[in-house]
Amino acid sequence: MLGPTLQTILINLLYTAVRSGTIILFPTIGEIFAERSGVMNLGIEGMMIIGAFFGFVVTYTTKNPYLGFVAGMLAGGVASLIHAFIVITLQGRQVVSGLALTIFGLGITNFYGQRFINAQLNVSLSRFAIPLLSKIPIIGIIFFKQDIFVYFSYIVAIFMWYVLYKTKVGIQLRATGENAAAADAMGVNVYATRYFWTFFGGLLAGAGGAYLTIVYAPFWLDGITAGRGWIAVALVIFAMWDPINAIFGAYLFGSIDALQFLLQARGTTIPSSLLSMQPYLLTFIVIVIASLIVRLKHIGVPRELGLPFSREEK
Amino acid sequence: MLRFEKRENVSTKLKMFIPLLSIMIGLLIGAIAILFAKINPLMAYKAILVGAFGSKYTFTETLVFATPLILISVGLILVFKMNFWNIGAYGQYILGAILSSYFALFLPTNIPKLLLLTIMTLAGLLGGALWALIPAVLKAYWDVNEVISTLLLNYVALYILQYFMYGPWRDPRSHGFPLSKMFADNAQLPKIIANSRVHLGLIFGIVAAFIVWFLIKKTKLGYETRIIGGSKEAAHYAGINVPKDIIIAMMISGALAGLAGMAQISGVIHLLQIQINPDYGYTAIIAAWLSYLEPFTAIIVSILLGALAAGGYQIQITMQVPFGIISVIESVILFTLIGSEILLRYTIHLEKRRKT
Repeated sequence: MLGPTLQTILINLLYTAVRSGTIILFPTIGEIFAERSGVMNLGIEGMMIIGAFFGFVVTYTTKNPYLGFVAGMLAGGVASLIHAFIVITLQGRQVVSGLALTIFGLGITNFYGQRFINAQLNVSLSRFAIPLLSKIPIIGIIFFKQDIFVYFSYIVAIFMWYVLYKTKVGIQLRATGENAAAADAMGVNVYATRYFWTFFGGLLAGAGGAYLTIVYAPFWLDGITAGRGWIAVALVIFAMWDPINAIFGAYLFGSIDALQFLLQARGTTIPSSLLSMQPYLLTFIVIVIASLIVRLKHIGVPRELGLPFSREEK
Repeated sequence: MLRFEKRENVSTKLKMFIPLLSIMIGLLIGAIAILFAKINPLMAYKAILVGAFGSKYTFTETLVFATPLILISVGLILVFKMNFWNIGAYGQYILGAILSSYFALFLPTNIPKLLLLTIMTLAGLLGGALWALIPAVLKAYWDVNEVISTLLLNYVALYILQYFMYGPWRDPRSHGFPLSKMFADNAQLPKIIANSRVHLGLIFGIVAAFIVWFLIKKTKLGYETRIIGGSKEAAHYAGINVPKDIIIAMMISGALAGLAGMAQISGVIHLLQIQINPDYGYTAIIAAWLSYLEPFTAIIVSILLGALAAGGYQIQITMQVPFGIISVIESVILFTLIGSEILLRYTIHLEKRRKT
């Protein structure tokens, strides 16, 4: 009977991996688009936890997880506008402003979150089996018997891939990140483009945070995002700035995360600290390898990533 | 529509004004946040002031909080000058603490105090430097983004600390708490002010500031870091060995963060535990920027931020105001500072939108 049991465990593991990966997938896609427009936002961790907090609090008070999810997204989007104003309008240093946004997000949620600590959500989110697709053996259970937010992440990834490579909006976006002055000469509003995609990145960072506290871990803890925002920033490189690749990166992370949880739950003798370390350690190793590939093949990196644009300086 | 015009020269007055403005805006936004929590912000700020400067003892507490900030921020200044973003002081601090603890916990207790403290100091420096070496080498030779690598390594360092505290280094008499056994007296940094917790680490910090100032102003390395900070390509064509400089500067920066970790456990906590406040590694980034990357200014700024932290802990205890408010104030200070740098480069005019 070992066979079927092992299969059940594996399917459960991968099912959880998709859910855990979804938390990272949203912000990774968002950051890909912000960076494609030339804006590096290291405030993902901060925007995620703001999204996680608003998502949690709105769901907690209204008992409506969908409303909570939208609230979390919007909160992440609003937070991103601080960064946008500092780095696009005022041409401030992107690395420092992004860090400030992370410190801000962790601080403000600690400040207002005290009375929610250990509060639990008791909303259960129904899962939808997608007709036909959910009937596929193994894959069906892992990918197509999920909740609506997971499906939303699939749609976002695929739709955004289409936008990036197949539409005029995508061309303008890529031009802005590659050569802002040329894009400006083409008639693209560089400022507006960067504002829009930074805001988009904030919305998706908020979505990832909201998914965490509404579905994956439906309670509130101080610092509950626990560095997932930084993993998302790292996965952008792994994905070589491509939304479809981001899916693989996010689920790879999700699998490691799910595996270490499973081992801890089954009472392994490996110390839990060493297991909890794995997602960060492996992301680190993956990033080193990805950076090497990017360097050797010269692919992916938006050429003017991190550089401010000023019409006056032409 | 805002129109920017390039500035020819910057007055010192303006350079002084921007950090002050940033602090004012930080406190203002902080006050609004406190108000939303239905707490009187004036009361809270008064309590912070009293908690930081109210008596001789509270001022010494401010110095205790400032000590790790000084050590870390002057090290960060060196690498920030070359546009290398070491966000990993958090992890370097932890590794310095762990490595120096090893000698405090496992060397025979009867070795002379001076010898043990020297070994621990070197271990703190070495622990931080080696942890910083990893992202430095990866950046120097493979161009691995140092923001991401240093940050991910922070989490790895945190779990290494947890491993030791829940595992081999836990004191059997700690009733299951993740604490090591208490350091013997010969592993504790001496106090330098009577009836206070101010320890020798403060002197380390001031010496470190002097060394970094000397490195930047008087040595070839300092000269080269400034060129690398301007443009890596230019530095390369000028014949500067960029990877070598990155590695040296980063190891110094990491060593000072490691020393801060050592000083904290040897001078203040007197044992190794999970809560050793590595967050100083992030606050020090703010100290470095607020001081315009000047080592001696960083001492003053660190004392100000130390006061904010000391006062913040006070209001957490006496008024139940969560410590996160301090992070909110600090982050707004940083936002304003970064946003106002444009004033140093341009004069700004408000005018009607022109048709282009």
